[in-house]
Amino acid sequence: MSTLHEGPRPAEPGGPVRAPQNVAGGLVLVALAALALWLTRDLDQGTLNAMGPAMLPRWLAIAVGLSGLALLAFAFIKHGEALERWNLRGPVFVIGGILAFALTIRPFAMGGFTTPGLGMLFAGPLAIIIGGYATPEARLRDLVILSLSLTPFCMVLFGDLLNLPIPVFPQALTGLFPPDWSQKGVLRATAAILVVAAVIVFLATRRWRRGPIDVADHSGRI
Amino acid sequence: MGDFFSNLSLGFGVALTLQNLGLAFLGCLVGTLIGVLPGVGPIATIAMLLPITFGLDPTGALIMLAGIYYGAQYGGSTTAILVNIPGEATSVVTALDGHQMARQGRAGVALGIAAIGSFFAGTVATLVIAALGTPLTKLALIFGPTEYFSLMVMGLVFAVVLARGSILKAIAMILVGVLLSTVGTDLETGEERMTFGLPFLADGIDFAVLAMGIFGIAEIMRNLDHTETRDVVRQAIGRLLPNRDDFRQSYKPVLRGTLIGATLGILPGNGAVLGPFAAYTLEKKLAKDPSRFGRGAIEGVAGPESANNAGAQTSFIPLLTLGIPPNAVMALMVGAMTIHGIIPGPQVMTKNPTLFWGMIASMWVGNLMLLIINLPLVGMWVRLLKVPYRLLFPAILMFCCIGIYSINSLPTDVMFIGFFGLVGYMLIKFGFEPAPMLLGFVLGRLMEENLRRALIISRGSLETFIERPVSAGLLAVAVILLVIALLPSIRKGRDEVFTE
Repeated sequence: MSTLHEGPRPAEPGGPVRAPQNVAGGLVLVALAALALWLTRDLDQGTLNAMGPAMLPRWLAIAVGLSGLALLAFAFIKHGEALERWNLRGPVFVIGGILAFALTIRPFAMGGFTTPGLGMLFAGPLAIIIGGYATPEARLRDLVILSLSLTPFCMVLFGDLLNLPIPVFPQALTGLFPPDWSQKGVLRATAAILVVAAVIVFLATRRWRRGPIDVADHSGRI
Repeated sequence: MGDFFSNLSLGFGVALTLQNLGLAFLGCLVGTLIGVLPGVGPIATIAMLLPITFGLDPTGALIMLAGIYYGAQYGGSTTAILVNIPGEATSVVTALDGHQMARQGRAGVALGIAAIGSFFAGTVATLVIAALGTPLTKLALIFGPTEYFSLMVMGLVFAVVLARGSILKAIAMILVGVLLSTVGTDLETGEERMTFGLPFLADGIDFAVLAMGIFGIAEIMRNLDHTETRDVVRQAIGRLLPNRDDFRQSYKPVLRGTLIGATLGILPGNGAVLGPFAAYTLEKKLAKDPSRFGRGAIEGVAGPESANNAGAQTSFIPLLTLGIPPNAVMALMVGAMTIHGIIPGPQVMTKNPTLFWGMIASMWVGNLMLLIINLPLVGMWVRLLKVPYRLLFPAILMFCCIGIYSINSLPTDVMFIGFFGLVGYMLIKFGFEPAPMLLGFVLGRLMEENLRRALIISRGSLETFIERPVSAGLLAVAVILLVIALLPSIRKGRDEVFTE
């Protein structure tokens, strides 16, 4: 990501570059083309009569590279848009939330290390709470309540009603319930516990709302 | 003609069973529910909700998915009118006059005319599909690989011409899309291409993953960047049914919009996207007082909304008859069909007549349901729209994760929506439009397959593409389109249409 630009930039680009956005775009295209050419270097191109595996990717990569070069060339001739500012907070937390979900939903082996499979019960709230911090307006209380109420909803919808093969809770959890309970029974009981927890958190932390910092923002910023 | 009616009655026999009616209803309701959320367009909605149809029989699943599609489309218009945030490209135009009407306390009328116009357009489009289905399928059967390839080239050129912004960038995006589609095992030789040796890339990039990353996750990141105030209409919604005056003003726009939308929707290469723009421009040109547009003219809602819905529906035609998905939504439909063991193309109609005609009839049913369920539920959508984005997007994020995980049960798929989300975000930042890339990806594999076959038949001679008359004609159309789009005067006009 050599093209990441943080912070403010001058509004009117000086120097020979007239369209900074296109320079960046062109460079990305050229880099992508180079990557594709490098990856297909060992593959056979074949002939038009019997196309090999590399024929299409290679020519496409060349075409992508050429459009990148053209874009670069035009960036010095024609005026274009400036690069927008990058805000790293959003992407970092959103991707953090997604990764947390992917790593905890079921055991995932990475090198010698295997993550525990925690199921939707933990993966869902992790995704909501970590992802939720992508905005500076994030509030822990709201995110906790949201995850405590959405997770049981999804557990019942996807695990119980739709029977999708998605891990709902870690196997160890079944040990906490009477042994004659079925998987579905455990699922429903867990979901009920979460909902109760959501209500408790909601009621117990109600006063926080009256705090001076926490003026409910219903203008709905987006 | 007899065929036409017997086919339709066969279809309605399937669509009107209690189970399928229920599925159409549920699909429309859930589709609208998700589609109403700001920043979630039909593509992300369908990708998210794809897994809930897995347990159904193929006909039921497709009926429900079609319902989700119309619901998402209609939900997008609702958001456009009430909040001025268009969920996707086709409702951009609706936001112009629709939101102004809402500010004047006529939100109800705007929503009402949008629903009624959409219903009318949907009815006409259903009939068009039923009428064109059989002849186009016959046409498809005489198409060889050479013609298919040229047709897809033409489709991609359409997509370039219709994309917003720089043509060079659109071409680059299409090429990148086709390039991405070549990742994975080569079908002919079995050699792995550009997989980095990663086993989960051996089957290629999953379309649902790419689509959800580019249109779901990237959209969240983009929305987080822009701290624009969401201005949910505070005025009363007002009465929902348009009065006699409103109808008098809008019946002609509805008719014209339907015609434009239905025609453009048939074109390969996402012609449907152009429908609302074209309808809006036409209404403005025909109006006695064009200055009313942008200030709450009902024609500016009626025309584009009808065009939008007609196009959304007729875009099923290339998929059902030729097996070529004309846009990303239809590509997701291909995914859904393949999961249920149906290969889209001309043979669907002959091999699976109940599915084919049942789905077509259910389109009409779905449109009727939207009319019935949406108008009374407007209050609920308004309340949903008042939920602040800081609470909405984590929920959308989790639904995306659960949805994509349920499709293949692969944690790597979930990671990849994050990766493609970042890619999509970068593309937006660099001024590239992701839609043409997705189309290139969708058509890429089919193109490679047909190119190979065509060249084997012609013994490696590229001339076959201009020697065969149909193929030559299609390519000529593509070239002419591209040249026209590059002409400076037309380009200016094109930019105007899109900036309006």
